[in-house]
Amino acid sequence: MSSFSLPIATDRLQLRPFERGDVEAVAAYHTLPAAQRYALRQSRYSSDVADVVGAMRNQVSLQRPGDTLSLAMVRKGDNQLIGQVCLIWSDATSGQGEVRFMLHPAYSGQGYLTEALRTIFNLAFDEFRIHRLTVRCDGRSHHSIKLMQTLGMRLEAHYREHALFQGEWDEELHFAILDREWRPSTKVVDFRRRSATPDLPRAAI
Amino acid sequence: MAIRPDYPLTTERLRLRPFTRGDVDAVHSYRSRPDVARYLFDAPLSREDCALAVQQRTTQLHLDQEGDRIILAVESQADGVLLGEISLIWRSSEARQGEVGWIFHPAYQGKGFASEAARRLIHLAFENGEFHRLYARCDAGNVASWRLMERLGMRREAHFREHAVFKGEWDEEFYYAILLREWQARQAG
Repeated sequence: MSSFSLPIATDRLQLRPFERGDVEAVAAYHTLPAAQRYALRQSRYSSDVADVVGAMRNQVSLQRPGDTLSLAMVRKGDNQLIGQVCLIWSDATSGQGEVRFMLHPAYSGQGYLTEALRTIFNLAFDEFRIHRLTVRCDGRSHHSIKLMQTLGMRLEAHYREHALFQGEWDEELHFAILDREWRPSTKVVDFRRRSATPDLPRAAI
Repeated sequence: MAIRPDYPLTTERLRLRPFTRGDVDAVHSYRSRPDVARYLFDAPLSREDCALAVQQRTTQLHLDQEGDRIILAVESQADGVLLGEISLIWRSSEARQGEVGWIFHPAYQGKGFASEAARRLIHLAFENGEFHRLYARCDAGNVASWRLMERLGMRREAHFREHAVFKGEWDEEFYYAILLREWQARQAG
């Protein structure tokens, strides 16, 4: 049995599924140019955001590889929706996951993302038995780089001019962390044992 | 862009030429070896597999569109012995990205043949400015291969740990890359 249930409370936040009424609050950060980079779908215009929220409302569990869990970051005191965190289960055999996030810039620098991401990392490693989590970010995004370092992620890749993004040469960083790095006490699980265990990774909810 | 070279490409000691049907035994002599296959996606190849691979390679000679690949036999000018193979793949048209790779018979390693062949192929990719960036990747355990990438002036861009399962083990992979201007600076220096 999984103990995973929504919403998840952290010190100052509720991480909860998206709701129909979130469109306006999501549009406030989702339509910013910097947010487009790792958006799961384009949302340059406020009218696109209703579709984005519609899709995220259904992303409430990880049942099979390819599934995404999308949660709104809502401040406890005033119920303000300040951003989002997403966990993507990209591969089952090798237990791979990716985390994406967006925060309204007005709320940056206060540790909200650190708080939300720690919770998502715990969820990924403890509940979903992810072996390795990755985060991608723009090479010029100093806030993100600092955040990944705070979380103890290793810089695994630094691609230079490997692609074009919005008409310019792109620079992209990949950060990663293994289950045993997140939880040093965790025993190293041989992947053959993982794949031989039929109930892993566990389905959510 | 398009790259349609006149073959063979030559270097001081080598000829980089199209594969022919007569190359099957020579290809089989290294592609059948477990020590060669260890770091490749394929398992050791049978003679039949090699015949098919060689057949495909006889037409992989030009880059006309994204996804096309050039795969050439590398032979010694001195005695015509086939030493290995080298490849250039057009990965992205928009961002002008290419991937290079090589496989050499262990008996002919350590003599600088792979470096010599790779330099010629990189020169082909960069000489008319067609590519902006070339990358190569290999298993982190394939020391000979990533040392060669470093000798070519490529930078290590990625070190992925346990990002996939490869042949029954956790995979560890290196990516190396070089930009056109970095290559040009090396040529000028």
